[in-house]
Amino acid sequence: MSTFRRFRAMDMFRFNNINLDRYTETYDLSFYLTYLSSWPDLYVVAESADRSLMGYLMGKVEGKGEEWHGHVTALTVAPECRRLGLGRGLMRVLEEASERIYDCYFVDLFVRPSNTVAIQMYECLGYILYRQVIDYYMTDGVMPTEYAHDMRKALSRDVAKRSVVPLKHPVNVQDTFF
Amino acid sequence: MESRQLRPVYDALEHSDMNQALRECDKLIRKHAMHPGAQALKAFVLARQGEVKQATTLAHQVLKAPGAVKSPHVQQGLSLAFRALGLPEDEIAVYTAALKHSSDAESLHCKIFMTAARNKMLKEQHATAVVLNKQFKQDRYTWWVVASFMLQAKSAAHESTKQLQLTLAERTAEMALKEGRLTNTEELRIYLEVLELQGKHDFMLEVLLADGPLAEKIQNDCDLISQRIDLMIKTGDYAQACKAAEQALESRDNWADYKLYAEAVVATLGQTGASESYASAAIANFDRWACQRGRARAANLACIDLATRLHEAGHSDVADKVIGPVGERIWSYIDAFMAKAICYSDIMNYICAHAKRAAAQQLALSVIDFHTKQLEQRLSSARTNALLHDEDAAQAWVCLERIRYLMQALVDDTDSERWIAGVETMLPFALDSDEAEQKQPACSDMVLIASQRIVQAAFLAYSEPAQHSLLCLALFKALCVLEAGIKLNSDQFLLKLHAIRLYLYLSCYERARALYDTLNIKHIQHDTLGFLINGHGMALGCFAPDLALCYDGVSFYDRAEARIPRELESAYGNGTYSNITDFLAFQDNLVHSMQRECTHRHALRGEVFEHGGSKDVLAQWGEADVVSIAHTDATIDALNDNRDVGVMGLLTPIEMTRWNLEIMTRPVPLQGSNWLKIFSLVPQIMHYIVCADAAQLDMRSKELLAVIDQAGQSVSSHDILLARGICQIATLYLSALSGNECFEQQLTGLADLICSNIPQELPAGSSSRDLASVALSAIRNAAAATELFTYALSAKHALTAQRLPSFAKLCGLRLSQVRKTALKLMNEMRVWADKQALECIDLQWQSREGDLLAPIADFVFDRCKATSASTARSCASSWLKSVKSMDGVYNYVLMTLPALLHSTDESWFEPLPPNDIDVDAAQLMPLPGEDQNEDYFEDTWGDLNRKSLLK
Repeated sequence: MSTFRRFRAMDMFRFNNINLDRYTETYDLSFYLTYLSSWPDLYVVAESADRSLMGYLMGKVEGKGEEWHGHVTALTVAPECRRLGLGRGLMRVLEEASERIYDCYFVDLFVRPSNTVAIQMYECLGYILYRQVIDYYMTDGVMPTEYAHDMRKALSRDVAKRSVVPLKHPVNVQDTFF
Repeated sequence: MESRQLRPVYDALEHSDMNQALRECDKLIRKHAMHPGAQALKAFVLARQGEVKQATTLAHQVLKAPGAVKSPHVQQGLSLAFRALGLPEDEIAVYTAALKHSSDAESLHCKIFMTAARNKMLKEQHATAVVLNKQFKQDRYTWWVVASFMLQAKSAAHESTKQLQLTLAERTAEMALKEGRLTNTEELRIYLEVLELQGKHDFMLEVLLADGPLAEKIQNDCDLISQRIDLMIKTGDYAQACKAAEQALESRDNWADYKLYAEAVVATLGQTGASESYASAAIANFDRWACQRGRARAANLACIDLATRLHEAGHSDVADKVIGPVGERIWSYIDAFMAKAICYSDIMNYICAHAKRAAAQQLALSVIDFHTKQLEQRLSSARTNALLHDEDAAQAWVCLERIRYLMQALVDDTDSERWIAGVETMLPFALDSDEAEQKQPACSDMVLIASQRIVQAAFLAYSEPAQHSLLCLALFKALCVLEAGIKLNSDQFLLKLHAIRLYLYLSCYERARALYDTLNIKHIQHDTLGFLINGHGMALGCFAPDLALCYDGVSFYDRAEARIPRELESAYGNGTYSNITDFLAFQDNLVHSMQRECTHRHALRGEVFEHGGSKDVLAQWGEADVVSIAHTDATIDALNDNRDVGVMGLLTPIEMTRWNLEIMTRPVPLQGSNWLKIFSLVPQIMHYIVCADAAQLDMRSKELLAVIDQAGQSVSSHDILLARGICQIATLYLSALSGNECFEQQLTGLADLICSNIPQELPAGSSSRDLASVALSAIRNAAAATELFTYALSAKHALTAQRLPSFAKLCGLRLSQVRKTALKLMNEMRVWADKQALECIDLQWQSREGDLLAPIADFVFDRCKATSASTARSCASSWLKSVKSMDGVYNYVLMTLPALLHSTDESWFEPLPPNDIDVDAAQLMPLPGEDQNEDYFEDTWGDLNRKSLLK
């Protein structure tokens, strides 16, 4: 049970209960503000009954031609708000916007292989491992350097589901730029 | 041609090599005597290098040069330069001048608009938007006009002006709507904002309900759906609001809509001829939705929310009839969802509201009894099942323990034994079970509850100063529990936050800082979480590491100040108008942030300490910009407190201050207006001493005294001590200026103040009282005395420089004696910390004596032995670091003063007699395991690689 609404810049003053989690990166201000000023309808937050923030999703759309897609930049849920289906709810918002508003071919995301709980959730939502990205995550002194799983889910526009045919070999980070 | 010539400059700028860029500019200027492009870029480079005067002069020269701004390179160079110099009017002047020569007027007008928008030049912004809208007739310029009107209205001083601006904004937007130029939700949102500012809820609703191409786009927009229901309530159409909420909730489960539904239902009862039918219908709907898969939590809580609202609005009869007893609803909710970690925060406020309402009706005891009885019925079975490896039962136990905590707080239970009761059962499960090994979240939650109970009980039982040793003993045990929890699961940030607090409470900076570093706190978190650590190192003598952290914070604010306006520009550029108000509010909160001011003052404080003995300290004080840090009541009232004090996972509502552990465990009061006034006045006083401005000095020291008198408990005793010492330094200096005979007496007073705060009688033995004295006062007193000593030294240097040699000599001699005394005492303390602290902790804090903690002592020291030993080492090592750091200051003075003083004041050169420093090399060796952050503490006087804030 939560209120889903657009994220606001002022929410950054009270998202610590979410961002102190070790899997959640706190980015430079410009990063958040750029997402807000570019794709405000793909930046959603869940708020609890006592008005504390429970989790949020930052997304964007990018690519050309059949690569036009929605991308999950960050999806995070506060520890005490896990196992409530919030992650799925937030993902649904992005998928719906990617499909209905932006008419994308697919949605993709990157996740640490060590984050097995998240991977399980994405698999349940229909995402598949599309490719691995070499050393996508660099160490920040807290989290180690790791490959990324690039996971994808085709949307209805991709009738032939060409966007979700897995690649056989890992790719480098620069190969993931659109 | 010009592009080719300037390429090397651009290349250097791209690589942020300002020196190379400057060389390339000079090369071009030498070659082509009047190369305006190179000059404009040179002005920018100079501005970036801090050569403000030179950059401004050059940029203005280029701007005035006939025809120079024709070149796009000059336009760019000058705009960059004026932006870096903070001269937006001149930046606009560049584009305005360029308009005469350019065929691309639209782009130049856009640049003028953006410059004005970035710099909140509302009139210019509006005028340019109007020009763009008229001349270039693009839809987006219409919305720029609307936004400009709206911002002008918000900042208007008079109501009539505000109304006029809003009316014009509304008409412009309305026209766009009629002409079919309102095509997306962002345009709709700013139109709604304009209407909202005028309270035109009817119109807002009309717009939101209108058919048309936009209707389809907004039908799934969560915010706008909720706004529509809210507007129906605001316009008094409660029946429609109920219907709309019902419709919205049929298709999606959004808590905001449940609350609006409940609000609308209660509002219907306030109408004449109202019946309870809406309430019955709502409950029927909630029950129906509760049966639907995945919606039960919200729908069930909505019943409780509606019942609470009905009672609060005086419709208890309806609530009882339609919903039944709210207490039973609460417990049925808990029964259904206590296996979810969120259950407690869902229900906490409703339990509080129930108890509060009962208290108002003199029924508090019966309600509390009811809840307590319900709790007891469930607690033992949850506990039993949890111990039988049932994960859901474990989480339910956690939920019930949290409720037990709340119930005790609600009845103001002051019995410390009742607070500690049950902890002995929690600990084995939390730290010593298979579930704990598997890192189950319930175990970490239980560690937190157990430690919070220990802390709560300790503060209740040992609040008297005579019992502070027992308080420290209990806090140490709570720390051991937290450390054991962290060892099992290092991802648990709440355990770390509480451990940081307790370490700092016990004057242990090193481990607190190490834990803080593992939280990877950065960027915006400097503003919201910096209060946890900033300044605490300085209060414990660890200036250098704290200063480095403060610099990180200061640079974050500087970056934010530069970047937010650019993002505001993007919002206009991308047409995401709903962000404008939000971004501006965000910017205001950061620019006028209380934590920003506090971080800046801490950094200043650290710098003073860093430069305290160096030869350029007088120049630093002389050049210090003390005007910008001066505060008035009005400027302090305008500050925003963004500090996230609620992040610590408290078990009681934040407003129940008596039971708020965040407040209870603060090592010093949260820095607020009085602290800020004090630490804004201290640098001003030092500046006026160095500048020999007696009148200003007199005024500021009187102000400081007045603030000290009114500060009360809002500022720590150590900060008050420092401030009083600064006042004494000011008086001393004024006496020297006027040749006052009291000088010597005043000097003795100052020296005594410093010496009296360096522990005179060091703990020779190993009693818990000695430990408590070190943990709660000795180190903080010594740090304040050391800091005061460096300020006194600066004043002494000022007297020398101002040709008051006799006073300077007297001062020097006295401070020399202070230094000797300090060094001797600090060294004794160092020996104690090195040799005996660990032993004392072993003997005293780890003892099993003391009735209150006896039930948990066995567990802590038998099964968490390794953790308690390492916690003890952390404490001892932290104290040693602090003492070494302060000790280093006095030693540093000995090494550097000859070069600094240029005087014949030989007393400074005298090495101390060997007997005075009875510390051999072995005693200075680090304790086992203390080398983790060695570099911070050894780098007391290191180059922190940042431009001084004093300048």
